Amino acid sequence: MTEPHPLLKVKDVTKSYFEDGKEFKILDLIRFELAEQDFVCVVGPSGSGKSTLLRILVGLEKPTSGEVLFEGQPIRADNPQVAMVFQSFALFPWLTVTQNVELGLEAQNVPLPARQARARKFIDAVGLTGFENAFPRELSGGMKQRVGIARALAIEPLLLCMDEPFSSLDPLTAQNLRDEILQLWSDPQLPPKAVLMVTHSIEEAVYLADRVIVLSSRPGRMVAELVIDLPRPRNRKEPEFYGWVDEIYSLIV
Amino acid sequence: MRGRRRALRFVAGILVFAGIVAAIASPQAALKALQLPLFALFSTSRMVAAYLIGLVFAIAYGHTAATNRRAALIMLPILDVLQSIPILAFFPAALLFFVVTFQGSAIGIEFAVVFLIFTSMAWNMAFGVYESLTTIPQDLEAAGSSFGLTGWLRFRLLEFPAAIPKLVYNSILSWTNGWFFLVASEVFQVGSSKFARPGLGAFIADAGRNGDVASIAVGLGVLAAVVLALDFFVWRPLSVWSERFRMDTASGRELAKVPRYEPFRWMPRFPAVRRTIIARAHPATQAYHRASVRLDRAYASHPNVVRDVRVVDLGLFVIVLLLVVTTGLIGLGQLFLRPLPPEAVGLPWAALLSFSRLLLSYGIALGWTIPVAVVLGESERVSRYLTPALEIFASLPATALLPVILGFSLAVVGSTGGAAQLAAILIGLFSMQWYLLFNLVAGVRSIPQDLREAARSFGLRGRPYWRRLLLPAMTPSLLTGSITAWGAGWNALIVSEYIEYAQRPYTVTGLGSLINQAVLVTGDTEVLLLTILTMIVVVLAMNKLLWRPLLKRAAIRYRLEV
Repeated sequence: MTEPHPLLKVKDVTKSYFEDGKEFKILDLIRFELAEQDFVCVVGPSGSGKSTLLRILVGLEKPTSGEVLFEGQPIRADNPQVAMVFQSFALFPWLTVTQNVELGLEAQNVPLPARQARARKFIDAVGLTGFENAFPRELSGGMKQRVGIARALAIEPLLLCMDEPFSSLDPLTAQNLRDEILQLWSDPQLPPKAVLMVTHSIEEAVYLADRVIVLSSRPGRMVAELVIDLPRPRNRKEPEFYGWVDEIYSLIV
Repeated sequence: MRGRRRALRFVAGILVFAGIVAAIASPQAALKALQLPLFALFSTSRMVAAYLIGLVFAIAYGHTAATNRRAALIMLPILDVLQSIPILAFFPAALLFFVVTFQGSAIGIEFAVVFLIFTSMAWNMAFGVYESLTTIPQDLEAAGSSFGLTGWLRFRLLEFPAAIPKLVYNSILSWTNGWFFLVASEVFQVGSSKFARPGLGAFIADAGRNGDVASIAVGLGVLAAVVLALDFFVWRPLSVWSERFRMDTASGRELAKVPRYEPFRWMPRFPAVRRTIIARAHPATQAYHRASVRLDRAYASHPNVVRDVRVVDLGLFVIVLLLVVTTGLIGLGQLFLRPLPPEAVGLPWAALLSFSRLLLSYGIALGWTIPVAVVLGESERVSRYLTPALEIFASLPATALLPVILGFSLAVVGSTGGAAQLAAILIGLFSMQWYLLFNLVAGVRSIPQDLREAARSFGLRGRPYWRRLLLPAMTPSLLTGSITAWGAGWNALIVSEYIEYAQRPYTVTGLGSLINQAVLVTGDTEVLLLTILTMIVVVLAMNKLLWRPLLKRAAIRYRLEV
């Protein structure tokens, strides 16, 4: 077997804010790598700077020091190989489901017919057929996040970044969406090749990821990087599953 | 909707009645009234021209201030001052400038009128754009960036839609302000020369000057009809449509169901007209889409164009700013280097008198609007019957009511001086009260149902109900209403303290009449400038020392957090 193709290199990323001449360190020397086929979760308590870390990893913010490389190049926010899913969904309230899904394609100047075909494909993939012309405010929370996921997948990214994508959904909907994300990730026909997700739910991380990066709080430091080798599909009731959850829990507290 | 239709029918009734009365009372006036539709068209065109310029200005200014932090440092304070100074005081100067520039031709006066209306419309819209752009939720902004929205595409898909709700809301306010200024500006006298452009405002003002009651009534009727018709056919549909652009997904709070917008849905009575308009508009919307796509492409191939345009834009702005500031400073220097004219001694006294009259108007306005707002806000039934009637009265700008108010004052008070005093206070009242009323009603309506029910279940009634729920909940809207009302009040001074009615002037001592004296009678620019300066100082002091601190405290204590 060949070595998986590396995608993302995070090199000693540190982030500080300065207020009244004082330095407040948010993130301290974060370093890890992510390759194709990876599903990595970053967990940490609130105040560990995990959302800031994700914003830096996708290029929305600059690190104070260190660097983030995507396929060997410094990351840029508008990189079409990286797509983002938000906790608050971040759908444009004045655009329909289709128009929202087409957003990234429109920015890439994909011609209209191709754009519409691709949007339809991913709206189908997340199970929203029939809601193409609905506006976000007419959808439930779970459906809104499906739009968010379809919008991210539509640009056919190599890497899908998700910022607590399920934490504002009810538990049942969240579980359904988790399984769907796993399915998309493992389907070689569909993007993405790799997933990077930030979450505060340890169980969620153990359920989804094959690697978990644990952050401490204030400043966010890497406490551990664990390889979860449980077979899939994973069962939350098994003692091995709880063994992992307990281990991560003890690392954070 | 039923109330609206009733209101329209009511207006139509008034119009017909006024027409009949006028035709019987004076056939000559009736003949003159035949020109009114044309006058209405002229006046509306001026409003539209000023509004479109204001809109472009507001978007450019607000966008630059929101996206360029360094530019915002100077742009925001300027906007703040422009918004709070009584613009009407500058009109004579602006008029002279345009008339001289265009060598006395009618075009110059038109420019002056449109410019004046523009200055009454643009600032709050620019603030609205700025506020909308700076309050776009962080995630939405991030989504835009990470999906590659830049330049024109970003403006079209993210920034402009995000600004629409506040832009529409402020447009309605601006439009109301515009009518006030339009009526005041269509006829203007500087020294012995009189400038007039045909329009509704000029018609009413002339009628007042001649004491022609029938023409006044007809003119007011037409004005009310135009204002209400535009409100009904343009602003209300627009404000329903703008709901679609509200950011409520971020807060997670479910708002009331917003009706899906369908083009020209609000023309149910004229299906044929509606179909035609949609059919006609289709090529235009198609063209817009094509142009958009082309612009997107053009932008993609020249990514620096937008930045270059912005740089040129900013450069021009800085140059104009420098010019204005230097001429202003030179003017001020000249003003204060010379010995002050003897009239300067009277300025504080005049300011005090003007302020006292406005305070009285404000007090009366508060006295009636607070209880009425509570009744309107609490009772759906009363509101349905009363609101249309109130909207008709509110549609008439105070400047148009000058002759009516003075006639009324003369009838009530015997003495000329007393009538002038009463008229000045009443005009102040009429320019202030509607801002208070409509803001307060919105405040009462915004009280969450939970709070009302909690109050009821704990048996709060009468005084405690007012003290613990109604008044605190109304405080923020009372403040915003008061600030707008005082702004209108200061502007009203210019027209309320010096009124020509039936061929003779009625004046009271005050800043407004000093300005009018200087412009109309003495032509003394020094006194004019000093008076304007005094007024600006008083207004800015009131904003900084009274309203700002109050607003800040209210924002902390009385906000109904959701």
